[in-house]
Amino acid sequence: MKQKLTQSFLQYAGLLGVLVLLIAVFSLSSKNFFQTQTLVTIANSNPDLIFVSVGMTLVLIVAGIDLSVGSLIALGSAVIGVLMVRHEWSLPAAFSVCLLVTGLCGLFNGFVSVWFSIPSFIVSLGMLEMARGGTKVITDSQTMYIGSRVEAFGEPLQWVPLSPAFLVAVMTVIAGQFLLTKTVFGRYCVAIGTNEEAVRMSGIRTAPITIAAFMILGLLCGLASLSQTSRLSSADPNAAIGLELSAIAACVIGGTSLMGGRGSVVASFIGVLIIAVLQSGLAQLGVEDAIKQLITGAVIIAAVLLDALRVRWGRRSG
Amino acid sequence: MTKRYGNVTVLRDVDFDLRSGEIHALLGANGAGKSTLCKMIAGLTEVTAGGMRIEGDVYAPHHKQAAESTGVQIIQQELNLIPTLNVAENLLLNRLPSFAGIVSSRTLHRQARAALDRLQLDDVDTYALVSQLGVGHRQMVEIAAALARECKILILDEPTAALSGSETQLLFDQLSQLRDRGVGMIYISHRLDEVKQIADRVTVLRDGRHVGTETAESMSTDQMVQRMSGEVADERSDEQPDAETRQRATTSAVSADESDRRNDSTVLTVEALCCGMVRDVSFQVRGGETFGIAGLVGSGRTELLRAIFGADRAESGQVCVAGKAPTRFGHPSQAVAAGLAMVTEDRKQNGLLLQQSIRCNTSLSAMIKRFSRFGLIRPAREATVAGQMCRAMETRCTGIEQSVGTLSGGNQQKVAIAKWLTRDADVFLFDEPTRGIDVGARRRIYELFDELASAGKGIVIVSSDLDELMETCDRIAVMSAGRLVETRERSLWTEDAILQASFAGHRTKESQRLTGT
Amino acid sequence: MRHFLLPILFAVAVAGCSSKSDTSTAQSNSADTNERPKVALIMKSLANEFFSTMAEGAKTHQSQHADEYELIVNGIKDERDLSRQVALVDEMVAAGADAIVIAPADSKALVPSLRKAINKGVVVINIDNQLDAEVLASEGVTIPFVGPDNKAGAKQVGDYLAGKLAAGDKVAILEGIRTSFNAQQRLAGFEASMKAAGVEIVSSQSAEWEMAKANSIAASILSEHPDIKAILAANDSMALGAIAAVKSAGKTGEVLVVGFDNISAVQQAIRDGKILATADQYGDKLAVFGIETALQLVNGETDQPSDVETPVDLVTAESL
Repeated sequence: MKQKLTQSFLQYAGLLGVLVLLIAVFSLSSKNFFQTQTLVTIANSNPDLIFVSVGMTLVLIVAGIDLSVGSLIALGSAVIGVLMVRHEWSLPAAFSVCLLVTGLCGLFNGFVSVWFSIPSFIVSLGMLEMARGGTKVITDSQTMYIGSRVEAFGEPLQWVPLSPAFLVAVMTVIAGQFLLTKTVFGRYCVAIGTNEEAVRMSGIRTAPITIAAFMILGLLCGLASLSQTSRLSSADPNAAIGLELSAIAACVIGGTSLMGGRGSVVASFIGVLIIAVLQSGLAQLGVEDAIKQLITGAVIIAAVLLDALRVRWGRRSG
Repeated sequence: MTKRYGNVTVLRDVDFDLRSGEIHALLGANGAGKSTLCKMIAGLTEVTAGGMRIEGDVYAPHHKQAAESTGVQIIQQELNLIPTLNVAENLLLNRLPSFAGIVSSRTLHRQARAALDRLQLDDVDTYALVSQLGVGHRQMVEIAAALARECKILILDEPTAALSGSETQLLFDQLSQLRDRGVGMIYISHRLDEVKQIADRVTVLRDGRHVGTETAESMSTDQMVQRMSGEVADERSDEQPDAETRQRATTSAVSADESDRRNDSTVLTVEALCCGMVRDVSFQVRGGETFGIAGLVGSGRTELLRAIFGADRAESGQVCVAGKAPTRFGHPSQAVAAGLAMVTEDRKQNGLLLQQSIRCNTSLSAMIKRFSRFGLIRPAREATVAGQMCRAMETRCTGIEQSVGTLSGGNQQKVAIAKWLTRDADVFLFDEPTRGIDVGARRRIYELFDELASAGKGIVIVSSDLDELMETCDRIAVMSAGRLVETRERSLWTEDAILQASFAGHRTKESQRLTGT
Repeated sequence: MRHFLLPILFAVAVAGCSSKSDTSTAQSNSADTNERPKVALIMKSLANEFFSTMAEGAKTHQSQHADEYELIVNGIKDERDLSRQVALVDEMVAAGADAIVIAPADSKALVPSLRKAINKGVVVINIDNQLDAEVLASEGVTIPFVGPDNKAGAKQVGDYLAGKLAAGDKVAILEGIRTSFNAQQRLAGFEASMKAAGVEIVSSQSAEWEMAKANSIAASILSEHPDIKAILAANDSMALGAIAAVKSAGKTGEVLVVGFDNISAVQQAIRDGKILATADQYGDKLAVFGIETALQLVNGETDQPSDVETPVDLVTAESL
């Protein structure tokens, strides 16, 4: 058991090292960085990215990719906005429809790419445009201000300064890791990503598994919509543009393979934290925009490199 | 021109000479070393010992380009054309006429036209994409591409497999012209009638050895088959170094074989199955029976197993497993549910998860049935069974967490088999179960056949290794050109007879074709 | 199970240190008043010349008044990255800023987070893009807007153009991002002056402030309505995209183009007569106006936050 614990620590040691290093650097260079307020802000600003990264990890593991997540978030939050503002729906009702819509979009991505053997890259690229267009149609390209009715999910709680959105996101990470490592579904996902033909020839239907992974991502986009909408108190048709790249970056930093078959939800979560800490720290220092981009890119490469070195080193010693 | 080789494992001390202006046919059963010989000549593999000379000069090509620059061209069975380019571009791909990197389209198509005209391929447009051509035309274009380059030696590996009768005739006319121009040609084919028709001399290889070279006229097709299978059995076996070990390895199987374990229940019935090149195949396997399928490479054996297993959708016919209602499986999952298991030919491509652990691979097919409850994996049981399987199969590994990709071929195969043993199947299909694995693993796998048969399972083995089939099977069927041509009890077969039967489909097809035109 | 400890640990760690430093923000704010006040300038995309000019102006001002205040400048990677801008507001509060001067990417969605900043005692000044009055009212906060009257500016440009047109002529408008207040104001200004002059607007589309998009939209408008006499672009980048489209349609000189903002790139175009007019709202000073207002409030020189209108002037070939 002790050995297992050490092992699991080592598994994430590289990533955690990068995270701690980043926090240390920012704490030393900005006097207000190492404070609850800052850490809480980081935690509460990023649940949407966490939700999406959990689902994206699953999709990447089955050797798929979904570029439409940013648009799905915007679509989901537009659904919430339109239903609550124009039709006076309650939040739970509006959120249910939002989940239904984003879940169906995920299902569509998975179904079309699996059934017609079209690369999910292309299908989800199409969905990216469609969902964004749909968002603009239903909102008339106007930001919908909803107000305090949606804020609770994104606001810090009384007894702990974290938002329910963040806590739910952390629970999703735990559930995602459980799904991946402890269930038959997770095992099939990893197996399909490793060699789909071998899984098929083992007498397992791969299509429903792959489609389910895409659908789970769609549903998590719905949760991300709720968290984003409540943080902004409004539904913004331009929300989450480019979020897909941040999510993929977080997964890859966490060691998920774009070729499928390898990945960890917890590692992707740490990947999100690394990106978030970096963004927030650089903002507090007021670093030039161009320099910010340079540093962000460099840290992404460094984190992936460090992980690769750790794996290589581990293989040599093991 | 003379070429010499020596002491290559698949090819031993083969002397072979090719004269200019002759068509020299190369014959042999599966694995006799025909392809290896040609690959060495074409510079695709290196010669281990021995050497070659062309027109008296030492010739030692290290890669295909070197061989081509010396004037040696090979046309392989797999087509090497790029489907998205047009005919002209394919024909002249490695020497596109260009000025400063800009391809001159007019020159290109003029040269391509000339190359096609030589083969009288008037109906092939040089602007057509290769993907728009039929298989026969593609083959012809490939031959034209080889002929377009100046060559002294041309190697053709089964060039007529995809050609129609008239196309074949056209090709033969071209080959005759080339012969008149002094080009030496090596011609590989399973169609013995064709060989009779076109070849000047015939060399027969068997088990990597040179059996004999004679003029084509002096040999009948029956004699060719006899040469390939070997008239004098003793001559062969006492010289084979690993024959003894193999014999010893399988004594247990052979001795157990004495008592017939076959029972009366039929566990697998295949009826009039058709799928692609597989035509109208029917057979039955009884409980405890080991059923072998022999045949030439490309005779449709793998396709047959895939069709039975539902990996490819069969067009017609029925499969019935262990008394269940007869059906045609549309997906392997249905076949597995009915009680079939299949160990595939290419374990890396579609048998194993190479990057995953032995544990994951072993539990894969029986995941839901044995290793989970309410969708949750039961890790303890999974690890226990994986460990048991490793011990039972004598898999050499550092532990059940070792990734399968790092195992040796034989141990990988043991894991691929263990994957099915965890699931209680009624019929096991094995496609080339011992290809490329060591003697120890082979011994263990033969023992396993024995154990499965004793447990009343049905076993179907496809193998190109005739010794293997003769040693392990109760009955052997021979497949030729997509049909099962003959099925007999093992004791009623000789290797010679199996080989004769293997060519049966080709010969009937050929004679049909000749009478038809 | 071991894999699941990690996220929990993180959550606990964040929650755990909350108790000991709940009041740290307030403390640091009051501690900072002894030093120079800290002003956080939150811009839209700094890749856009208009905003980078504004930021440069602010930095120059700060270096001239280095003893009076400290400045942190942050932007977002593109105009629409709303979520990141909201996070920036939170982060600047956490970083102990005394005042936030913000050019909001959205006139509605930023209000709730700015309200939270105000409740933490931070002075907030709105520049460039005016926040939505209704949302401000429903959130119960007042945030002073320091900036030009975009509608009046657009009307000046439109009126100048109308002088060159006859009643009944046809024109097209290239709008900014429709969610932004500025875009709405400038559109309103353009529409008002065209209506007054009796000019018909045959097409009004959003090119989202971008040159490339404006170019393709202008090109399709020109082929759809070959008889239009002018294109009114809601910013200069889009005006530049429009004149390229006019040129490739072979209508240089026939179709008049006007812009807004007076970025350096258009000045030559105005001298050459390719662009008829633009409006200068003194971009380099806009942020400085906001910062000065913020400092007055922080230093207690005024306690009445009220809107400040900054000048907008018409720029034409004559005035250059």
